[in-house]
Amino acid sequence: MLKILVCVKQVPDVNLVKIDPVTGSLIRDGVPAIMNPLDGSALEAAVRIKETYGGEITAITMGPDNAAAVLRECISVGASQAILCSDYAFKDADTLSTSYVIGKAAKMFGEYDLIICGKETLDGATGQMGSQLAERFGATMVSSTSLIMEVNEEMGTVIAERELEGGVEVLEAQMPALFTVEKTNYQPRIPNFKGWKFARTAPITKLTADTIEGLDRNKIGAPGSGTIVPRTYPPEKAEGGMILDEGSVEKNVAKVMEILADKGLV
Amino acid sequence: MTKFDYKNMWVYIEHDGTTISTVSLELLCEARKLCDVTGDKLVAVAVDGLPEAELAKIRATGIDQMMVVHGTGYERYNNDAYTNLFTVLCQKYNPSAVFVGGTTNGRDFAPRFAARLNTGCTSDAIEVVYNPESGDIEFIEPAVGGKMMAVITVPVLRPQVGTIRPGTFKYEPVGEKAEIEVIHETVDFDPALIRTKLLKFIPEEDDGAVNLAAEEVVVCLGNGLSGSDKLGKYQELADLLGGKLGCTRPVFDRGILPFKQMIGQSGVVVKPKLLVSFGVSGAINHTAGMKDAGTIIAVNSDPDAAIFGVADYGIVGDMDTVCDMMIEALKARQ
Repeated sequence: MLKILVCVKQVPDVNLVKIDPVTGSLIRDGVPAIMNPLDGSALEAAVRIKETYGGEITAITMGPDNAAAVLRECISVGASQAILCSDYAFKDADTLSTSYVIGKAAKMFGEYDLIICGKETLDGATGQMGSQLAERFGATMVSSTSLIMEVNEEMGTVIAERELEGGVEVLEAQMPALFTVEKTNYQPRIPNFKGWKFARTAPITKLTADTIEGLDRNKIGAPGSGTIVPRTYPPEKAEGGMILDEGSVEKNVAKVMEILADKGLV
Repeated sequence: MTKFDYKNMWVYIEHDGTTISTVSLELLCEARKLCDVTGDKLVAVAVDGLPEAELAKIRATGIDQMMVVHGTGYERYNNDAYTNLFTVLCQKYNPSAVFVGGTTNGRDFAPRFAARLNTGCTSDAIEVVYNPESGDIEFIEPAVGGKMMAVITVPVLRPQVGTIRPGTFKYEPVGEKAEIEVIHETVDFDPALIRTKLLKFIPEEDDGAVNLAAEEVVVCLGNGLSGSDKLGKYQELADLLGGKLGCTRPVFDRGILPFKQMIGQSGVVVKPKLLVSFGVSGAINHTAGMKDAGTIIAVNSDPDAAIFGVADYGIVGDMDTVCDMMIEALKARQ
């Protein structure tokens, strides 16, 4: 039976996030936490594989306790196991240490034929987790996957489309393989009521730094991170051009048309 | 070894055997400036097989050293061989920094060899600055949808691995050095260990989709767009202007337009003669992909919208109304 691991992250809905203009820090108050949209596509890809070929989906995340919400979303559409890695010691982790923790935790529940992630997150958008998780699992790496076309369990291969700058690659990858998926063909489904109801009370396995087997404390959280963020600041506002003020919107539009005509653009 | 024992900055030269990826040349020019400050050598690392004319473009950026890689496993880009190559080379030479163009393939293997080397990797920087106090490179990246800028460093570990967004820096070669050291390295990777096989490559031109990067006029829609029912009028305006529709990430996320029409740092970079922007707030992730347009007209109901900062001419008003007026004016001209 195919074993599929889906890696998800809870992120603030950045479209609603505001930045403190003075300190440059995030104002998260009242901003809803959602499943990273591309992780929704990863989940969708996993569910479709399960529907076509059978298999078992395990969902995993790292985050505060309330990140369990994104795992419940996974359960509501067909994940049968959910793992939450949550510990103050994981705080301020970059992708190097996060991938280490996820790898160690997931391996406690066996091996995986397919590992599926979103291509990048809405908040950090480094797009590095997939590649670094592939390293932790020793898996074949297929990034920017637009479609997983065929899974051949007997041969241990997967055929997938990969979006590149100049076109699309069709690759045959050996399992275990990790895919980071694009949204292209994977619009996440809405769970049905039964699934949603089941997920509300389904068990979630919570792991901490103490309960993840063989975890090296030097490799987690801030100490285990290769990168730090010494400071953030609001983007500089560009000088800008001219905001037209001809007295009315009609006149402003007329002015723009005049300017464009002068420049030979219309 | 401390971080100060790691010397020299490397730039990975991505190529297909005939042409170098533009971002690699852009990176060489920027890394040259850093090396001038730090005293490091600038090293171009390329798999063998480039024609002389392309090699000349590399030399023109003022490199100190050219590392030519020979061996099996590199004919076609693949994660396995390239991850191994940079792991092996970094372990042998201990560079201070490795810059990789942020192409799909660059971002595919750079984080992996960084993880294998147990070092820090940053992605998609739009600015790199050397901090003489810490001895670290500051990689500056837009975060949270471009609403803030984050400075990222690799404070202890080496090499500092970073991918850089294509189109961020300019190819402005400072000229060839009188002496360039050439090093030949052979790192064989057993082709049997390459775990992906290319079955087919479908070039983009075949699917007839919009190629915004080549358009001379772009009408760009932002999150101010109330819904896909309004798309028709903007399409009409684009048609009248002889251009195509583009959008920002929220519009793509809402499923209104496809990814190929998303303009910005993680989408298409456009340089049309004319860009008319409607309901776009102007986050840097988006503006990074359109700021070099010839003439930018922005329409937004919020007079404080950041988009007015990059626009040549701005109109404060309801986007649908302004669009209707422009359509009317253009029809009247015909």
